[in-house]
Amino acid sequence: MTPSWMSPDSLLIAWLLVPYLAAFLAVLLPSLSHALVVGCCGATAWVGAEALITGTTRPLQLLGEFGVPLSLEPLAGWFVLLNGLVCLAVWIEARRQGWDRTGWMLLLVLLGSLNTSFLTTDLISLYVALEVVGITAFLLILKGNSANALWIALRYLLIGNTTMAIYLIGAGLVYAQAGSFAFTALAQLPPGAPLVLVLVGLLTKAGVFLNGLWLPRTHAEAPAEVSALLSGVVVGGGALPLLRLEQLNTAIGELLLPIALASAVLGLIYALAVTDAKRLLAWSTLAQMGLVLLAPAAGGLMAFSHGVAKSGLFLTARQWPSRSLQTWRQQPLPAPLLLTLLVGSCSIAGLAPLLGYAAKKQLESAVPPVITTALVVLSVGSVAVYCRLCRAPLAAASNPEEASGALPWGAWLLMLPLVVGCVLLLAEVQRGWLVSLVLLGLGLVVDQLLERRRQQVSHGLPSLDRLPDLVGGLGLVGAGLLLSIGAELG
Amino acid sequence: MAPIRLLELLILLAVLAGFGGLLLRRNLFLKVLSMDVMGSAVVALFVLLAARSGLRSPILPRSGELLSGDYADPIPQAVILTAIVIGLSIQALLLVVITQMARIDPSLNAASFEATDPP
Repeated sequence: MTPSWMSPDSLLIAWLLVPYLAAFLAVLLPSLSHALVVGCCGATAWVGAEALITGTTRPLQLLGEFGVPLSLEPLAGWFVLLNGLVCLAVWIEARRQGWDRTGWMLLLVLLGSLNTSFLTTDLISLYVALEVVGITAFLLILKGNSANALWIALRYLLIGNTTMAIYLIGAGLVYAQAGSFAFTALAQLPPGAPLVLVLVGLLTKAGVFLNGLWLPRTHAEAPAEVSALLSGVVVGGGALPLLRLEQLNTAIGELLLPIALASAVLGLIYALAVTDAKRLLAWSTLAQMGLVLLAPAAGGLMAFSHGVAKSGLFLTARQWPSRSLQTWRQQPLPAPLLLTLLVGSCSIAGLAPLLGYAAKKQLESAVPPVITTALVVLSVGSVAVYCRLCRAPLAAASNPEEASGALPWGAWLLMLPLVVGCVLLLAEVQRGWLVSLVLLGLGLVVDQLLERRRQQVSHGLPSLDRLPDLVGGLGLVGAGLLLSIGAELG
Repeated sequence: MAPIRLLELLILLAVLAGFGGLLLRRNLFLKVLSMDVMGSAVVALFVLLAARSGLRSPILPRSGELLSGDYADPIPQAVILTAIVIGLSIQALLLVVITQMARIDPSLNAASFEATDPP
């Protein structure tokens, strides 16, 4: 007989709590910090992979009826696995950058709070977890250490906390009407103000459409490792609860569908127009988060394949000669770096045989036919976006000893699942060669046409991310959601 | 109008005032204070929700006997304690950053910190 503390439930709770303890230990005993980070990240990836492989749902109720409900199902498994892998890759890269013990502490707290936010299924625990994620991300952005970093971080926390206040009002109204804070209670209520307020909060955290206008500049200006964390997993803290709500009530999915599509279009247009490579990746995150929210059946795989690829791309950013896309053609990149860029780009653009293609296929089969057509157009657009990153010429082989020191191991760790995933899903991927080639051709043509236009037209798109725009975006999306619910009710 | 409705209305007004301040005030410090007005309104909302079932503090007397059922609902009160603590800590962090930013622009005009480069 196994003792009670070895039961699967106790181990799960221990796994949730250990990162916080490890964070304190990492500060007190810096010599242990590397082992602690690797252990916690490894355990997280393991728990996520186990949930995916067994395919079971594990509900868990802490502290009785009014306690904290947790649930680990395959959908959450994707996000947990993503969290473990991205934090591990960031550890590999950050070690080279000489992060100190506060850095490791923040990384561990972020890992733990994201795990909590992925497992919890009630509004209040989610609120607490997301606020901890927000504060940790704020402190990580401040590691950038420039005057601009101060402003970006302040903006991030100010918008994040405002939106969480709106979310809390929604949670309070849910309790007033249903007598519970559980997601299920919210999903069973008829759509109305409580739902809209909660959605506004979560959409902002997920970085979708007008609520996500804070995202591009924040993700682009943060240090490369922090950008990888933000764009890879932190946005998932808002996306997974939205997917869970969509799963519980299809009406919520229909309500979010226009916002998700609009986000994909908005992100794509800006990603095609910007002249800064990090900004391109960040706007593309806004577009991809829209696609993640389209269908809960495909959302997990979409978020995972996007998260690993995008984090990997951001992790290579320190080795780019410059961030300007205008000079991208003239700056040669070493072969390992260019290979990483190619794999990540092709996966996000949804080209066979990488994991991103399988995710896109799953998404197409989960949405209505009209949306599938829109998705094809969008994927031509994303091919055109990522062509821009792959245009750099190959640098001549330099001194091998020097090169081996700069190999992007962290990014490679993240590219691994993209390649391995396609081996596992080989049957699905095999049929996609032809479609992918056609998409690639169309994307290249669009890119060439746009490139000519970019050189002719000097004025760009309007800047949408001043502070009043961000606050106004929250108001607009909230009012729009309320109006659409009102119109449906008659 | 029932008093509870009136209080609800006042809370809604406080939330809107905070949101409006965040949108319209130019000074960063006042923006952060506006955010805090919103936060306080949320706290008031939860306290009001708890008071719907009664006003007596939900604490058992030493004798252990249950008094007649006009206790306040303990759940929203317990929940909002956490939110108060989080709100306070975020407020503190924001003010620390603002003191740093005051070295760049002592008037703390939010527009002066906005980047001017294309999106």
